[in-house]
Amino acid sequence: MRLAAAALSVFIACPVSAQTTAARDAALPRAWDGKPDLNGVWQTLSTADWDLQDHSARLGVPAGQGVVEGNEIPYKPGMFATKQENFSKQATEDTESKCWLLGVPRTMYAPYPFQIVQSPAYIAVLGEYAHTTRHIFMNSEHPPGPLEYFMGDSRGRWEGDTLVVDVKYFTDNTWFDRAGNFHSADLHVVERYTLVTPDHIRYEATIEDPQVFTRPWKISLMLYRRREPNVRVLEYECYTYDLQEQARRGELGPK
Amino acid sequence: MTTKIDEVTSMFMRLPLMLILAIALACIVGATVIAQEGGGPRVPQRPPAGGCPSISREFWPCAKAKAAAFNPPRNPDGTPNMNGAWNPFTANGSQNIEDFAGSQFLGPQVTLIVDPPDGKVPYLPQWANQRQDNWDHYIDPLGSCYITGVPRQTFAPRGIAIIQGPKVFAMAGEFAHQYRVIPTDNSPHIGDSIRLLMGDSRGHWESNTLVVDTTNLTDSTWLSISGHFHSDALHVTERFTLVDANTILYETTLTDPKVFRQPWTMAMPIIRFEQGHEVLEEPCFETDRDLPVMLQDHKIWTGLPRQ
Repeated sequence: MRLAAAALSVFIACPVSAQTTAARDAALPRAWDGKPDLNGVWQTLSTADWDLQDHSARLGVPAGQGVVEGNEIPYKPGMFATKQENFSKQATEDTESKCWLLGVPRTMYAPYPFQIVQSPAYIAVLGEYAHTTRHIFMNSEHPPGPLEYFMGDSRGRWEGDTLVVDVKYFTDNTWFDRAGNFHSADLHVVERYTLVTPDHIRYEATIEDPQVFTRPWKISLMLYRRREPNVRVLEYECYTYDLQEQARRGELGPK
Repeated sequence: MTTKIDEVTSMFMRLPLMLILAIALACIVGATVIAQEGGGPRVPQRPPAGGCPSISREFWPCAKAKAAAFNPPRNPDGTPNMNGAWNPFTANGSQNIEDFAGSQFLGPQVTLIVDPPDGKVPYLPQWANQRQDNWDHYIDPLGSCYITGVPRQTFAPRGIAIIQGPKVFAMAGEFAHQYRVIPTDNSPHIGDSIRLLMGDSRGHWESNTLVVDTTNLTDSTWLSISGHFHSDALHVTERFTLVDANTILYETTLTDPKVFRQPWTMAMPIIRFEQGHEVLEEPCFETDRDLPVMLQDHKIWTGLPRQ
């Protein structure tokens, strides 16, 4: 009882925000080099893969609160019409419908787990969807272009306890979501990963593409650590299943 | 615009199978000198690795002896530090794993198999003709953009990045964006009914050697372009040991009672790429253009044929 009273007096004496911040930082797991330890299996609980913005439910799509700051994607004149046209064709033309690599940032909020393996010079993001492999090279420069990658060229650095990753050299083959939000090959993404508890990463991405948008815009969402015992990233080798089915039905190859 | 995707995929994904193989040979053999020895087969003469001859049967005992005397650089947890980009240069991009004189389509190969001593895959008699049948009638699953499976990932084209963290060892391959995450935390394998092209790998350290046990595999992957195969009963044990700071002795033993008479073992050097080498993204299915061409005379492999 006396101990509880003492604890209470300490609690009252300290400014609440300072105390919770200090407690949080001390509790953060650290990697070998002292940086926040992002190693583990992570997954979004957001519905951003269906639609980055606020959306009501429809058949097969859960309703969701958007992840775009201000809920507005600032398309240039005429570009919103392309987004709407994309949406009308999403059953076949969406990146995920084609089983292609989803690009960045979509890989981070697609509804599949991914594993981060972290070392000082190199961080790998390894996704369940189509064995997505992201190589984040630390403390190095983008190579001279022109280059095109589905996942872009990722260069990371630590700003305090936040991992900042600069990503460019994309293709125009990927969409941001199943709602048809899109970009050009001039897309430039700056991601910020902040471990806010041992089991939560605040993920923010600033998206810039002067061909498509009038200004940079930002998404923000939470990534959750998968805590099930012995959980691991499995496989969703999207494009193989239909190929196998067609082959088994004898529809492919010489008779 | 010239792009990485264009260069790589136009080279490997948009051409007829045989042309791809020929180009792959030219690219993968790369620095290897092909020496004509009398009238015999053309044998690749590869530089030594870790101070040992790089031919598997000679490398294996030599590298084991050297590794036993080597105190490797270490991670903060004391495990040997293998972080970096690595090149399994004697495997020739997994074109073949047995002795092979070379042909119009595939490069010469000195067997990677050190046990049994004849250097041949010990297939059960009923499977004796299957590899040839595979070559004649099926597209290598890699050619239809399947991921490699295990252990082929380790000696697939373009090399691998190794990343180590606390109780985890990961291998990311450049070819067709494939990877393996190997927990080294004494955790058990996943349930037997979950089948994965890359299997379920669990590792542990025995002194300075990472020993990886892989189960839960499928019969959808091959071991080489030339058609070496396995069933879904395949069980793979791999051993990664540093011979020096820039050379790994890689040993892998394959057990598969449905297909092989006995367990058999490959051994090969994996050497560090030059400083600054980055393992990058190589899409496959995303930019595939040649599958219809290959399908003109070859079939999609859908697993081991029933007998």
